Amino acid sequence: MGDEPQTTALEVRELTRAFGVRRALDGVSFELPPYAFLSIFGPNGAGKTTLVKVLTTLLNPTSGNAKVLGLDVVADAVEMRKRIGLISHNPLLYPDLTAEENLLFFSEMYDVPDSRGRVTELLEAVELDHRRLDLTRTFSRGMLQRLSIARALLHRPEVIFLDEPYSGLDPHAMDILDGLIAQIRGEHTFVMISHDLDKGLELCSHALILARGKVVLYEPREAIDDAAFRETYRSTVGMGVA
Amino acid sequence: MELRTKEMLMSMGLYSLLTMVVYFVALSQAGAGFDPRDIAAGLLWLTFIFTSMLGLNRSLVHEKDQGCLEALLLSPVDRPVIYFAKVTGNLVFLLIVEALTIPVFAFLFLQGEAIDLRTMALIPLVLVAGSIGIAGVGTLLATMSVNTSGKDFVLAMLFIPLIYPLLLGAVMATGAAIVGTPEALGVFWTGMAWVIGYDVIMLLASYGLYEFIVGA
Amino acid sequence: MKSSITRAFIALVVGGALTLAAFLGAFFWAGVPDFGFVRTAEQTDSVRYQGPFVQEVDEARYLRNYVGYEADITADGTLTEGRITEAREDGVTLETDAGDVTIAAADFESAQVYGSTYGRPDWGQKIFYFHVPVAEISFIVFGFAAFYGIRFIMTRKREYDTKARVSMEVTLLFVMLTMATGILWTRAAWGVWWEWEPRLTTYFIMTLLVIGYFVLRNAVEDEERRALYAAAFGILAFIDAPISFFITRLIPSNHPVIERGGLEPPMLVTFIIAQIGMILLGYAIYQLRMGEVLLRDRIEHAKTLLER
Repeated sequence: MGDEPQTTALEVRELTRAFGVRRALDGVSFELPPYAFLSIFGPNGAGKTTLVKVLTTLLNPTSGNAKVLGLDVVADAVEMRKRIGLISHNPLLYPDLTAEENLLFFSEMYDVPDSRGRVTELLEAVELDHRRLDLTRTFSRGMLQRLSIARALLHRPEVIFLDEPYSGLDPHAMDILDGLIAQIRGEHTFVMISHDLDKGLELCSHALILARGKVVLYEPREAIDDAAFRETYRSTVGMGVA
Repeated sequence: MELRTKEMLMSMGLYSLLTMVVYFVALSQAGAGFDPRDIAAGLLWLTFIFTSMLGLNRSLVHEKDQGCLEALLLSPVDRPVIYFAKVTGNLVFLLIVEALTIPVFAFLFLQGEAIDLRTMALIPLVLVAGSIGIAGVGTLLATMSVNTSGKDFVLAMLFIPLIYPLLLGAVMATGAAIVGTPEALGVFWTGMAWVIGYDVIMLLASYGLYEFIVGA
Repeated sequence: MKSSITRAFIALVVGGALTLAAFLGAFFWAGVPDFGFVRTAEQTDSVRYQGPFVQEVDEARYLRNYVGYEADITADGTLTEGRITEAREDGVTLETDAGDVTIAAADFESAQVYGSTYGRPDWGQKIFYFHVPVAEISFIVFGFAAFYGIRFIMTRKREYDTKARVSMEVTLLFVMLTMATGILWTRAAWGVWWEWEPRLTTYFIMTLLVIGYFVLRNAVEDEERRALYAAAFGILAFIDAPISFFITRLIPSNHPVIERGGLEPPMLVTFIIAQIGMILLGYAIYQLRMGEVLLRDRIEHAKTLLER
């Protein structure tokens, strides 16, 4: 597994996840170039979270394949996990540990070099430095999310997945998140699920609409005509639960 | 983890003590006409089984709430390793509680009885072997049961029948150790053989099944 | 689909006929074996005379068992014939034609005791023709369920989960039958409805495991997860059951152990017929249930399609 420059960050081919008759994902295919920002839209139950879960190795596909950074999500899962990060609406943190202990624990898991330094750096970046010795159980939702972001970035993942990261955040936390994304935008690839059409469009370089497990639309940002897109979006989301 | 450790230990320890007290009260009604050594082993293991179910449930529910398991699954660790880590964690808890319970038990029930200290020294062997089985199977089952509605009930329903052979072997061995006569030693090793056999088979099976179960 | 239903019906009819035949055969054709034997007619009612017996006794104290029997006792060189009326530590009293004779234990050399053997007909044994096949089949189907579970985990195909579930249902049925016939048998043989005896207890454990399987299935919402969990538990349970059985062989038990080859032809034939009949019935039940489940699935599927 050499270090050739990746021509694609994500390569998804006929990805299907079905059980019996129900298909959460149905033949999804697309490619994402490196350092892109993909926004995924779609109604509830469209399969967005399932897609992200498959791409982050939390679920296995029933058929088809997917590659992140050239690594297969099934065959090279362990290797891949070192290079991706996930920020989800669950904070994914241990409530009985302090902020600092949480981050240290995860940096151990990911073999992060100079963990103490990195932890401090990130705590400062998400402005939680002053609470580093407090149990995460005492954190507000916004603070949890901020800490979660720090956790996801510990090992400097090349691809960062975000599952509705802005939900439940207060404006200040939102700003911090915006700032962080802007900061590291250049060297990372992003995949974000969002229900906020404006925010999603604003940030993205590519947009994907999923409905009932199928790709409805996949375009790079430049090719998108705002009005038409909003129309498609509204009609798709209007279809309701699959 | 340390704080959680303390909290868990305390609750498990207290639970185990409470069970002991209940037994004591219940049995004191039976009068003095029986030899507590006969039932000591059974009581002891009963306590451990129920205490372990409590512990398993709490630790895994806790984890599920905050999505910690997902975080673990995301990290570049093989699933079986996660299994062993959890089993070891649960095992350590169980062993500590057992270590604390036994003196209490001896005090409550075995006062004044003739016990052979040498054979009593064999008891830790059974404890460790039996606890390994409990932790191994219990961890797998609890991982499933926390995702169900009716968590503790489901765990009990699944765990108790499955652990029955282990229980038999462990009680057999522990009972023999407490009695301490030379014939009892033969029984002891038979019981131990069963416990170890059970451990090996069930742990292999659980280990194999775990990666399909977690993250489902 | 149609052909498997037809096969199922054929199996049902044939199996039912065979089982019925076995039932009739068991009661009217196969002989009733004797449940041990007794020496005196007073011990139980409904005994059947088997034949005379002669027992050599070489120690005086054993004569205690034969009070009331005719005996020839050789003591101190002389042979005395009579009926034993008393047997004590120090000697034996015989009632002879010449009156009561007491023989000291110290003088005792040997004795021969005469009596008759009676057999006690064991009606309860009839249940054996049904209990054993049902128990065997419950295990076999259990094995199938575990096997389908493994296949499911390997392939993630929903059909295997359905097969596993239906197998478990059939297992449950046969487990219940085994328990029922077993309870009837313990009642007939030992006069109690249940005993916490090792083999019975472990079968009870197996019952709990099968019930637990369905409890688990019920408690999980998500289909795929439910199938996975059920498969895993089914496998664990199937591994656990034999362990339980073997561990209880350690403990001596009252549970009758069948010695193979000890059956006379009428009994053997009946037994084999019962076995085959039951297996066919089991197969039939499985197929029919499968058919029902699949049909239901298709209806559900059609409903969902219509809703869209």
